Amino acid sequence: MPGIRLGFTARRRLFLVMIGLPAVLYMVLVAFWPLSQGLAYSFTDYTLTRPGPVNWVGLENYADMFADPAAQRAIVNTFVFTLAAVGLQLLAGLGLALLLWPDSRFNRICLALMLIPITVTPLAVGLIFRAMLEPDFGILGYWARVWGLSPARGYLADENLALATLIVIDVWEWTPLVALILLAGLKSLPTDVLEAAEVDGASRFQRFHRIILPMLLPAIFLALVMRSMDAFKIYDSVFVTTGGGPDNATNVLMFHAAKIGLEFFQIGAASAISTFMLACVGLMSVSFVLMIRHAERRLGSR
Amino acid sequence: MSSRRLARRAGQASLLLALIVFLFPIAWLFATAYKRAGDIFAIPPVLTFTPSLRNFTTLFEFFDVPQLVLNSVIISFGTAGLALALGTPAAYALARLETRWAHTIAYGFLAIRMIPPVAILIPFYLMMRDVGLLGTYWALIILDAMQSTSFVVWMMFGYFRAVPKEIEEAAVVDGCTQWGTFIRVVLPCVVPGLIASALFCIIFAWNNFIFPSFLTNASTRPLSVAMISAYGSNEINWGTMGALAHFSVLPIVALALLLNRYFVQGLTRGVH
Repeated sequence: MPGIRLGFTARRRLFLVMIGLPAVLYMVLVAFWPLSQGLAYSFTDYTLTRPGPVNWVGLENYADMFADPAAQRAIVNTFVFTLAAVGLQLLAGLGLALLLWPDSRFNRICLALMLIPITVTPLAVGLIFRAMLEPDFGILGYWARVWGLSPARGYLADENLALATLIVIDVWEWTPLVALILLAGLKSLPTDVLEAAEVDGASRFQRFHRIILPMLLPAIFLALVMRSMDAFKIYDSVFVTTGGGPDNATNVLMFHAAKIGLEFFQIGAASAISTFMLACVGLMSVSFVLMIRHAERRLGSR
Repeated sequence: MSSRRLARRAGQASLLLALIVFLFPIAWLFATAYKRAGDIFAIPPVLTFTPSLRNFTTLFEFFDVPQLVLNSVIISFGTAGLALALGTPAAYALARLETRWAHTIAYGFLAIRMIPPVAILIPFYLMMRDVGLLGTYWALIILDAMQSTSFVVWMMFGYFRAVPKEIEEAAVVDGCTQWGTFIRVVLPCVVPGLIASALFCIIFAWNNFIFPSFLTNASTRPLSVAMISAYGSNEINWGTMGALAHFSVLPIVALALLLNRYFVQGLTRGVH
């Protein structure tokens, strides 16, 4: 009976498709199906606390979002936070990676211990800093207040400094990860090129600027992409330290959307915010890809 | 001292300083657990204190710690198990299917990780409410496993592509079934990848806060959610929080240090 006895290649393909299918179906069901539902909700006035039919409202939720001062603040804050936190992490991470580069027992132990902050529950990180920065009893907050370095109610309660404080907390938490990625990049550099440059009499700065940095670009991009995507959806530390305050000074998109959607139960409005976030992430990914292509072309033509 | 040695010493000194900056807050958190209220609220704040286990007694008075630990364990191991069961075969299939689609789908899995969690959480919350799973372990495990599966597929995809095809061909010639080849011949080659994947699934699920804070209830909540309530009032203070951190933070820190090699391998995947 031809058709039932399949050849080996066909059986092999069938087998591979069969074992790959469950994960794909799972993603469709648990990721894309809810995602598309959220997209649909964003064009309605769906509100859990209000009985009655759900009405189609077109782009009203989006218009409301852009007109709402709290949401505006969240948009600006999210971008400022992402840019500043990731920028500082790349700088500090590069410095640490260069220090850790020479292989020694001391450096290996340093690296292992330095990775501890990224394993600590992010929520606990927020709690630690909230407690340490507390202006009355906190080990850092008290002295900062007494020495006149912080406002009387502490950094986290100050409208101008709260977001900067959250950035510092994020830099503390994730710089080790950036350092680790850049260090892995440094360690994979071809040693012969570096040695040749040294023999040829290139100065330390020249070697760093002309050889190490360009060859490190893939690792830098990896760290940049990973961290930007995560920083953009900051939630835990905002929730636990400031709750978006004072006066929306630390309101960020994730926090704003979760509050509107799952505390006030305005599903339509919240879905508009999360769809906007999704669009931002999409735009960010596209610009990263373009950046990487551009950098590769520039390096290739050199 | 030569300038080269001087530079090395300066480098080590800066690293030591960085290490203090990174470790002090964590040491402070654990130390707080052994302070009495008088030491915690001393003015000015003090670094020295007389150790006491009072906070642990308070912790066990106000929290059902064994239940919280059990919840966290069920959620993180459930997530890891489900994500590995789904993700590992899929990654193998993508690594071996010779079509352009395979790469596109692998990138698709990676892209899922970039979706802002809240965009899925809100509709997922409503779905779980409608099917009556809200507040159960399942609601959380299903959503956590979605994120983790996308990660596992991407990570294992790389590991499977590094396994030479000749090994499988030899096994098939020897009369091994396709499934048997996968389980008995290919999987043993990627054990480090499996350990790293499992480690990351566990860390993600254990440390996650936003999903469990909306999807679990008082009896199924994990440690990360309980921590927030270990803070604030007079009886429950920083000391209780530090004591609870011994159960919520310490296990993951210890696990990552213990499996440091796999942890580092997983984090630097994609650099080479």
